Amino acid sequence: MSSVSTLTPTALLNQIEKPQLDLGIVALTDSAPIIMAQQLGLFTKWGLDVQLHMQNSWATLRDKLHTEKLDAVQMLAPMPMASSMGLLGPACPLLTAFNLSMNGNAITLSQPLMHEIKTLNHGNMPALPLNATWLANIIQQRNHSQSDKPLTFAVVYPYSCHHYQLRDWLGSAGIDVERDVNIVIIPPTQMTKALADNTIDGFCVGAPWNTKAVRDGIGCTVITSCDIWNESPEKVLAVTQSWQCANPNTFLALIAALQEACEWLAFPPNRFETAIKLSQPEYLNEKLENVAPALLDSCLTSLDNTARNIPAYLRFYTHQANYPTLDQGHALLVDMQRAGQIPQNLSDLQLKQWVERIYRPDLYQQMRQIQQQAASM
Amino acid sequence: MSQLSQSVPVLNVLIIDDNSARVAAVQNALTGTAYNIQHLASTKSSLLKEVESSNADIIILDMESPNRDTIESLSVISNYNPKPVVMFSTQDNPALLQESISAGVSSYIAGQIDPLRVKFILDVAVARFNEFQELKQELRDTKEKLSSRKWVDQAKALLIEKQGITEQEAYTAIRKMAMENGEKMEVVAKNLVSMAKLLAGGR
Repeated sequence: MSSVSTLTPTALLNQIEKPQLDLGIVALTDSAPIIMAQQLGLFTKWGLDVQLHMQNSWATLRDKLHTEKLDAVQMLAPMPMASSMGLLGPACPLLTAFNLSMNGNAITLSQPLMHEIKTLNHGNMPALPLNATWLANIIQQRNHSQSDKPLTFAVVYPYSCHHYQLRDWLGSAGIDVERDVNIVIIPPTQMTKALADNTIDGFCVGAPWNTKAVRDGIGCTVITSCDIWNESPEKVLAVTQSWQCANPNTFLALIAALQEACEWLAFPPNRFETAIKLSQPEYLNEKLENVAPALLDSCLTSLDNTARNIPAYLRFYTHQANYPTLDQGHALLVDMQRAGQIPQNLSDLQLKQWVERIYRPDLYQQMRQIQQQAASM
Repeated sequence: MSQLSQSVPVLNVLIIDDNSARVAAVQNALTGTAYNIQHLASTKSSLLKEVESSNADIIILDMESPNRDTIESLSVISNYNPKPVVMFSTQDNPALLQESISAGVSSYIAGQIDPLRVKFILDVAVARFNEFQELKQELRDTKEKLSSRKWVDQAKALLIEKQGITEQEAYTAIRKMAMENGEKMEVVAKNLVSMAKLLAGGR
């Protein structure tokens, strides 16, 4: 095998193993790097003919990747771990070498729950980001009266940062997630409806769903993932390990194109143009006024309250956002273990061994070297 | 075939689908069998509640349905009684699909609804699901036994080392303690090990 690290950009372009790619995404605001790479012709520039395939569920996206119906996919950051460890079905070793986005999630509470909180606070809106103690108080009250059902929160997938961020926020006020609340899985497209008809009391999701709930007047966004966690990868690009072995140059070209799209997204004036593209029917099919705010670092809170400025609400490039570190992978596995999703008896060393198989910063660095050569040509 | 349907009790099938022609085709295919069809539109926000409270024995939904994550999550929620899941798929390669079978999914109905095949697919799905549940229970039992033995072995080793007694004596001591306290040997052994760690200044 020839050493890939010495590959020149021209040599890479001449040695693409599989130029035609099927790429799977779930249409969300943080699909921006993939959608804009397509729109800006960056895949073509790197010798790739990419077809985007919108998926309605993470489970189906995952199954199609496992069976190589899709070559590469956008995944929730914990999903490559879940697949590789076989947490839901047969194990399929995946790898990631590229963070598509950081941050971007938020928790929105229903109007009735918000009303209860305001009542506790003498009719006033409490300070945001909301301290989860308000919820702990409500849970305590309800336990005393024994009349109400437990608070129910929704996330989109069990192996998601949304899920762990929600757990951490509730846990910060001493709420026992297993005992005191219900956590259910609802597809993002049905989230706002479930909140409106009180099937759920709140949710933790990504853009544009929090903004939509606020604009529709059915919820109040009380805290963002930036307030709960300090920077973490949200979506990653994943392929099967066997696919990367068979198509090493194609893989490098693919992440090189995505890297350029992310760099383009770092320039603030490009964010609004991105919002316009994303809102179109073939992608999010959502109003521009619901898509744009998060891309412009704005977190709407509620119809009668001011928006919050969240720096790097959606980070695509700055602070080396795309470089996948082993520490990031390890932190995710620890979250999964704390949520009881992977065996408690896996030692820290074993977790690190899993990360080393799934997280490949070395491939990211190879891509950067090739890109730097291309820039100096 | 008819013998089988007479011998099995009625099984409730919950179809979550917006394609009414397809629902009707399945309904037709299952007329006169032990399968009783209930239909649910996929866009209901209370879907989860209705699935949980339904007395469905089998769930059918489309592979491309946005509700897949919800249905799949039911198999990771511990207080939910798992059910076999069958998926409609337009994919033409059922062998490939079968390979990818994920948690709780027992089978696929690929391509056109073939009335002769639908019942067979459901029969196989139920049989396969039951087999899988039994395997899972066996695995749980084995794991429990192993974990219990692991603790007792550790406690025995501790006693042998600290008290200078034989393995048989150590075992007898742990069993006696368990009987006196009305506890499982595993619990007593765990306590012994943690106590020793505590005294040694460990975690």
